[in-house]
Amino acid sequence: MVSFVSPRTTFNSTRIGSSKKLPYVLIIPIAILTAFLVVYPISQGIYLSLTDKTLGAAVDQKVSFVGLANYINLIQNSAFLASIRITVSYATLNVIFSVGAGLLTALLVNKRFKGRGGVRALLTAPWAFPDIASVIVFIWILNSAFGVVGILNQHLPFDTSGGWLTSSPYAFISIIGMSMWKTFPFYSIVLLASLQSVPDDLLEAATVDGAGPFQRFKNVTLPSIKPTLYLLGLLAFIFAFRQFSMIYLTTGGGPERDTETLVISVYNTAFKYYDYALSSAIGVAGLIITFVVAVVFLSLQNRAQKRF
Amino acid sequence: MAVVVGTKRVVLGRSIFRYSIITMICLMVLFPLYWMIVTAIQPPDITLMYPPVLYPQDPNLDGFRELFRDNPMSKWLINSGFVALLATLITTSFSVLGAYAISWFQWKGKTAFGLMLLFTQMLPEALIVIPIYKIYDQMHMLNNLAALSLIHAAFVIPVGVWILRPAFESIPSEVIEAAQIDGCDHLAVLRKIIIPLCSPAIMAVSVVSFFASWGDYLLAVTMISKQELYPASVGLASTMSQLNTPIQELLSGALIYGLPPVILYMFIQKYIISGLTAGAIKG
Repeated sequence: MVSFVSPRTTFNSTRIGSSKKLPYVLIIPIAILTAFLVVYPISQGIYLSLTDKTLGAAVDQKVSFVGLANYINLIQNSAFLASIRITVSYATLNVIFSVGAGLLTALLVNKRFKGRGGVRALLTAPWAFPDIASVIVFIWILNSAFGVVGILNQHLPFDTSGGWLTSSPYAFISIIGMSMWKTFPFYSIVLLASLQSVPDDLLEAATVDGAGPFQRFKNVTLPSIKPTLYLLGLLAFIFAFRQFSMIYLTTGGGPERDTETLVISVYNTAFKYYDYALSSAIGVAGLIITFVVAVVFLSLQNRAQKRF
Repeated sequence: MAVVVGTKRVVLGRSIFRYSIITMICLMVLFPLYWMIVTAIQPPDITLMYPPVLYPQDPNLDGFRELFRDNPMSKWLINSGFVALLATLITTSFSVLGAYAISWFQWKGKTAFGLMLLFTQMLPEALIVIPIYKIYDQMHMLNNLAALSLIHAAFVIPVGVWILRPAFESIPSEVIEAAQIDGCDHLAVLRKIIIPLCSPAIMAVSVVSFFASWGDYLLAVTMISKQELYPASVGLASTMSQLNTPIQELLSGALIYGLPPVILYMFIQKYIISGLTAGAIKG
C-alpha cells in the first residue's frame, strides 16, 4: 500500500487518493445516468431547435433542417420577449421579497429564546410541502367566492372581482406570494445559521464603542453574512427560474400570457401550440441562462470561501 | 436600583415584542396548512359559511372516505411510494460513490465533474422534458414507473453529492489511515468507516431524494398517461381539474399527500442547509 502518505495539509487536500482508476469507476453510474438523461436530451433539444418539427404527431413526419430560423423567429417573437421580462421580474421580486423577509425573520429569531428549536422546525414546513399540495391549498384559499383570503376582495379598495388567479395583475402577485410563502421561512433558517457565526466579541466591541443596533448591523453583522446573502439571492433566483408546477397548475401562464415564465412558455409552446422546434429554441435560451447563473454561483462561492 | 429595574423592564418589553413578532410569523407561515386541515375534517356546509369560522366544527373523516372511494387514491399513493423508493435507492447509492470520489481522491476531470453536477442541479427540468419524452417514447419507456424514477434520480443526485461531501470530508484522515494499516482497501474504507460514520447524512440524502421524487409533478405528468399508473401528484392534480370534486375531499388529498414530507423534513433540516449552501467545487 502506497496510499496513506499525504497528511492533511489544507482542508481539501486529498489524503488517500493514490488509486488512479478508482475515482473514475466510482463516478461511472452517475456519468451514465447524466449522459442518458441530461446531456443527450440537451443535444436533442439543440438539434430540434434547428429543425421545423411540430408535434402534429405523425412519427414519419418529414423534418427538415432550417438553420437558425427558429432563433430569428424567437428574437422577433413578442411572446418570447414578454416571457423573458416576466421571468426576470418574477425572479427578481422573489429574490428581494423572499430573502428580505428571510433576513428580517432570522434577525428576530437570532436571540436565544425558549422554543427556538421548535420554531426552526416549523419554519421548514412550507419548503417541504409538495408543490401540488400547495397548489390545492392556495387555489382553495384564494377562491373568490369561498376562499378564506379570496373573499376579502369584497372589502378591498381595488377591484379583484376577476379572481386572484385569473385576472391581471393579481395572478402575478399571487404566484409571487405563493413562492414567497414557500421559500422565505427556509431562507431564514439558513441565514440564522450564518448569523450565529458572527463573532460575539466583535459585536460587543462595537457596543462598547457606542455603536447602536443599526450601526452594529451595518458594520459588523452585514459584512459577515454577505456571502450567504448572495448565495441565497442566487438560490432564490434559481428557484423562481425553475418553478413549473406551482405556476402551471394555478394560472397556467394566464390570464392571456401574463404569468408565462420561460419554463411555462417552453411547455405551452410544445403542448398547447404544438410547435416543438420553437419550444426547443426557447429551451436552449433557458439553458444559456442556466449556464450563466451557474458560473455566477461558482464565482460567488469561491469568493465566499476565500474569506474563511 | 431604579436604573436596574428600568433595564429589566426594557428587556422584558423587548422579549415580549420579539415573542409576538415570532408568533405572528409562525401563524402566517402555518396558516395555509392549518386551513387545509380544517377544511379536510369539517363538513362542506360549514366550510362554505360566510363569514368563515376559523376553527374546525363537527370534525369527521368523510373527506378521506370519499377520496379513497371516488379515486384509486391508495393505488396512486403506492405508485408514488414505489417511484420514490426506487429513486431513493438509486440516488443514495450513486451519491455515496460520487461523493467518495470527489471528497477523498484527486483526479483529472474532478472539476469538470463538479461543474456538470452543478449545472444539472440548476437546470429546470421543464427545459429538457420534451427531448426526454421523445427519447422515452422511442425506447418504449413511457408509462413505466421504474423509468420515471431514473429521471428523478438523475436530477437529485447532485444535491445528494453536495450533502454527503462535507460529511465525508469531516472524517479525520487518521481514522482512515488506521483502517488502511489494518489492511482495508479503498472500498473497504468506504464500507467499514465512511458509510457507518456518515449514516446521518446518508439518511438525510435518502429523505431528500424520497420527497423530491414524491413531490414531482412535471416529469410524472409528461411520462405517465395511464390513470392506474399515476403517482399521487398527478392523480390529485387530475381530481383538482374535475370541477365537481368536493372541497373536503380535495383538501383531504392534499393533507394525506403533503403532510408526511413536512414531518420528516423537520428532523433533517440542518443537512439540507449544508447541502444547499456547500454545493461548490473546491478544486
